[in-house]
Amino acid sequence: MASQPFNRDMFNDFDFEDPEFNERFYDVLDAFVGRCPVAHSTTGDGYHVINRYKDVKQAGQDWRTFSSAKGFQPNRDPQMPLLPPEECDPPYHNSWRNALNPYFRPEAVAAFEGSLRDEANHLIDQFIGRGECDFVPDFSSKLPGNAMFKNLLGLPPEDIPTLIKDMDAGFYGPLEERTPSLNRAFTYLGDYLARRRDEPPRGDVVDVIAAGVELDGAPCPWSDQVGIITDLALGGIVTATFVMSGGMFHLATHPDDRQALVGDPALIPQAAEEFVRYFPPVVALGRSVTRDVELGGYQFKTGDFVLLNYASASRDPDAVNKPTELNIHRERVPHSAFGVGVHRCIGAHLARLELKVTFEEFLRRIPEFRLRPGSQPTFETGILRSMKSLPLVFRSARKDGKQP
Amino acid sequence: MKIRVDRSRCAGHGQCNMVSEELFPLDDQGYSAIRDAGLEVPTGDEDTAEEGAYNCPVQALSAEK
Repeated sequence: MASQPFNRDMFNDFDFEDPEFNERFYDVLDAFVGRCPVAHSTTGDGYHVINRYKDVKQAGQDWRTFSSAKGFQPNRDPQMPLLPPEECDPPYHNSWRNALNPYFRPEAVAAFEGSLRDEANHLIDQFIGRGECDFVPDFSSKLPGNAMFKNLLGLPPEDIPTLIKDMDAGFYGPLEERTPSLNRAFTYLGDYLARRRDEPPRGDVVDVIAAGVELDGAPCPWSDQVGIITDLALGGIVTATFVMSGGMFHLATHPDDRQALVGDPALIPQAAEEFVRYFPPVVALGRSVTRDVELGGYQFKTGDFVLLNYASASRDPDAVNKPTELNIHRERVPHSAFGVGVHRCIGAHLARLELKVTFEEFLRRIPEFRLRPGSQPTFETGILRSMKSLPLVFRSARKDGKQP
Repeated sequence: MKIRVDRSRCAGHGQCNMVSEELFPLDDQGYSAIRDAGLEVPTGDEDTAEEGAYNCPVQALSAEK
């Protein structure tokens, strides 16, 4: 199906920040996959965007040629510290991943399930009597913070609301409050890490971050350790928020799928995986080209900056059958939303658990809901995509589940 | 102990190879190069083999006696 032409020349002068990309997100992605294996941008120093599944995969696997040592953001502010392990290459990357990975395995994150379920119900209790909620501020921007800060990082519970508020304002607040709010959050995390370094170990992931790993035979710099805890918090909060919100938007507008999941909650994990594919919170992440190389029919030069477009790759018909359809009944969901290769998302299993708990608990307590009439969700897109508001209405119920 | 790979699951993330390049060889495309017969783990390397298998993000690997 032919779509309207774009105002911008998306293939030769692309810009992730262009509002047209936000508004016509899927149109642009599908045009990329269909007709533009490598798009180009003249924004700032310029960059290239690799769009097809097999090319994204090849670049993701070849970390020597497509290096993360100069970071994942195009036109990055050189003052910004690099965040390992995401923004570094093996072998240093592997030292960190091997230290951190055990805390993110399915068996390890399963220990958080009860706490996540309690938190999900606590959040639902706040609005179930009202018959309406804005799902983003009222639920999806809160639950991942609980998973990350309470369960994974073991922060003092009394500190968490302020931290979540700062992270929330850092991403969703008024523009001028975003940087100071995020800085407060990261300073807090750095102080917490320093405190934990001087305390007896608790057997959690913060122990290994505070202990550090070796870099070239010497202890790694402290700033990298602060970078790790920052990267985990960043990677684990807004990402899960968007997938939850996207999935709930789909269910609010597709009663058949909602009823299918209410009737058979065992379908929820595969539906959640499809939501991850269809609502990719990480649109694209960058690499620096370390040697002249041909990929996707384009000749890259040493020093080029490229972005691996995970969002379009997950809509490539060579990888996914009927990719433009959201189908909660797919038994296997091939996608690149968690990335490909050595930098693949460390928190994928935690994200899946959060999604499973979210849809199980919400649908159990509020099986029927829809968008507030006249409203639509609002999105924001750059190399990340987020939803800012999702107003839902439903029949109000008492917290205890009895009829009022 | 033998390491085995479920080829239908392996997606080429290379997380096993980060633990040990010897026990978890990759092919040119970055997928596990372990053959269907499995890879015999040298005595003393069992913990590393288990570690590498656990590291697989899509549970394509097993390390069992």
